[in-house]
Amino acid sequence: MQTPESESVVTEQDTVTEPLLSVQDLQTYFFTDEGTVKAVDGASFDVYAGQTLGIVGESGCGKSITAKSILQIIDRPGRIIGGQVKFSPDGAAVQNLLELEPNGPEIRSIRGGEISMIFQEPMTSFSPIHTFGNQIIEAIRLHSSLDKIEAHELAVDWMRRVGIPTPETRMSEYAYQFSGGQRQRAMIAMALCTEPRVLIADEPTTALDVTTQAQILDLLQTLQKQNDMAIVFITHDLGVIAEVADIVAVMYLGKVVEIGPVESIFSSPKHPYSKALLSSMPTIDAAHRERMPSITGAIPHPQNRPSGCAFHPRCPSYMSDICGLKEPELVSVGTDQQASCFLYGRD
Amino acid sequence: MTDAPNVGTKKPLLEVNNLKKSFPIKKGFLQRTVGHVRAVDDVSFSITEGETLSLVGESGCGKTTTVRAIMRAINPDEGQVLFRTRDDEMVDLAELSLSKIRPLRRDIQMIFQDPFSSLNPRMTIFQLISEPLLVNRIGTHEERQDRVVELLRKVGLRPEYMQRFPHAFSGGQRQRIGIARALAINPRLIVADEPVSGLDVSVQAQVINLMMDLQDEFGLTYLFVSHDLSVVNQISDRVVVMYVGRVAEVGTPQELFHNPKHPYTAALISSLPISDPKQRAERTVLEGEIANPANPPSGCYFHPRCPFAIDKCKVETPPLKEDSSGRLVSCHRADELELVGATKPGAANG
Repeated sequence: MQTPESESVVTEQDTVTEPLLSVQDLQTYFFTDEGTVKAVDGASFDVYAGQTLGIVGESGCGKSITAKSILQIIDRPGRIIGGQVKFSPDGAAVQNLLELEPNGPEIRSIRGGEISMIFQEPMTSFSPIHTFGNQIIEAIRLHSSLDKIEAHELAVDWMRRVGIPTPETRMSEYAYQFSGGQRQRAMIAMALCTEPRVLIADEPTTALDVTTQAQILDLLQTLQKQNDMAIVFITHDLGVIAEVADIVAVMYLGKVVEIGPVESIFSSPKHPYSKALLSSMPTIDAAHRERMPSITGAIPHPQNRPSGCAFHPRCPSYMSDICGLKEPELVSVGTDQQASCFLYGRD
Repeated sequence: MTDAPNVGTKKPLLEVNNLKKSFPIKKGFLQRTVGHVRAVDDVSFSITEGETLSLVGESGCGKTTTVRAIMRAINPDEGQVLFRTRDDEMVDLAELSLSKIRPLRRDIQMIFQDPFSSLNPRMTIFQLISEPLLVNRIGTHEERQDRVVELLRKVGLRPEYMQRFPHAFSGGQRQRIGIARALAINPRLIVADEPVSGLDVSVQAQVINLMMDLQDEFGLTYLFVSHDLSVVNQISDRVVVMYVGRVAEVGTPQELFHNPKHPYTAALISSLPISDPKQRAERTVLEGEIANPANPPSGCYFHPRCPFAIDKCKVETPPLKEDSSGRLVSCHRADELELVGATKPGAANG
């Protein structure tokens, strides 16, 4: 079942280890009748075994499209038009997932196999007319040579591991018979039963109540430790990011504007957008009825992407001589962070 | 810190007493009633003029049903909803006929959660905001137009956009339109059901600030419904924590979050993600799931998940009463338990 992994947990300093998944300059555009929407426009990040990369951003920042692009599950009119997704599972040769045929056998064996995904809404992610048991068994048998009985046993075992009580009886139940939290647990069981090396979690707790969210976050972290799995955790909730992530990538309008270790990002954010986002987060420690710092304006429509730095119309540190004219690149700031802003590394 | 504008001297605007509402569960071909979902099960609270009272709780705790019963979108089964009219009389909204309620509706307006489905896509912004005026036959067309311009300015939208349709606006802007519409006929009580849940954090902060500004300017009273404790902390003067149709605890955000008295409040706080990665610590994660309101547990509804439950909790329903420190709590052990709230960095009571 679970192969004991001998390699140590990778830390930030452990530069010798190769990333498990390396996304480089990913570009996914949507070609609509009204024009091209650059949903993801040059996103780059690395994910290491045993680590969690948190991708955070507001609606329309391209975080979900980035996740879907890794597995090439972009619906038309979307198309991945550039970049690389290098996947190197332990010991195997580096493979660029974007070179694989989107419907070909290679990527299909990786999807749900070595790279699994869980979604925000567990109700719509399950078939309403198949039992949970059958859906999990199907996932197992697609990616292994187990027979029906073995697969059934493994499925029951995973249902138990994710904390579903009386898994034998619940195997024959349907999605509507489960509560929201249990459905999310079942989805985690289905995603992890193939023992993936990378789990992509797209807003896995957004639809859940806080007490259930705490349970699911704990479960994901426990399972991650057991399998030394890498997690790409996508959320709009900065509190959740602070809790689960090792590395944080902040996205705004299709670009990674800042990336770095979670402690650095939260204690000293460098990009004006990360700063503004963090300060506009309501907390229960805040003084009562204090005015909240907020970002002026709204997120622009993706088709009206501002020129230069996309954040410049809302930015408090806007510099008229450059921000609206040139696009900033990600540059190193401080010891371990990178930010794309002309405040840094300007000659 | 800053208290609500002299709450003590003001009178209650709305008083909810022992409100109950249950829905029948119907099954089979004959649609026989096989049970009841007790959505709101004996809820009481009062809102003073000018204050913000929040109802907070997880899904299925009855917060929306409570609000709908107050608005008489549904008829409550039992209990009183006393509202102070402009003539300083207390009338029971739960008992009045719908025709008698109609004039009072001018005083109570609502802001909804989803700014996408709560605005008619085929009406212009002018039509949407002036509709409450038209329905209540207020003003001429020109006067209504002036009023809409004034309202749009108040909520931070440009009056030039008056003839546009809702689809041209972002989520935050639509919520501003919803607020302008609610303000159009000068209500005294605004009921806001999850008004910022669908918004991005940066926009959420803008809308919360706007709501607080408008409250100061017009002396509004808010009944604010939310599942998000952090938002509630920011806006409320007092908070009612609900669990499965009942009130668990009432208090100011300071009291509740830093010195909770009910184990459920403490559990809610401990399950909040800590926004400081350096403070990642083992926390007590509440086990089990929210009780089913169709088949609630005996005694205290929280006892199967409560780490402090004793035998008494299984049989006897704790009443909502003042504990030794004067806080309203419904827990048998409120006086003996030492519960941990949120740790506030550098707080005086830390």
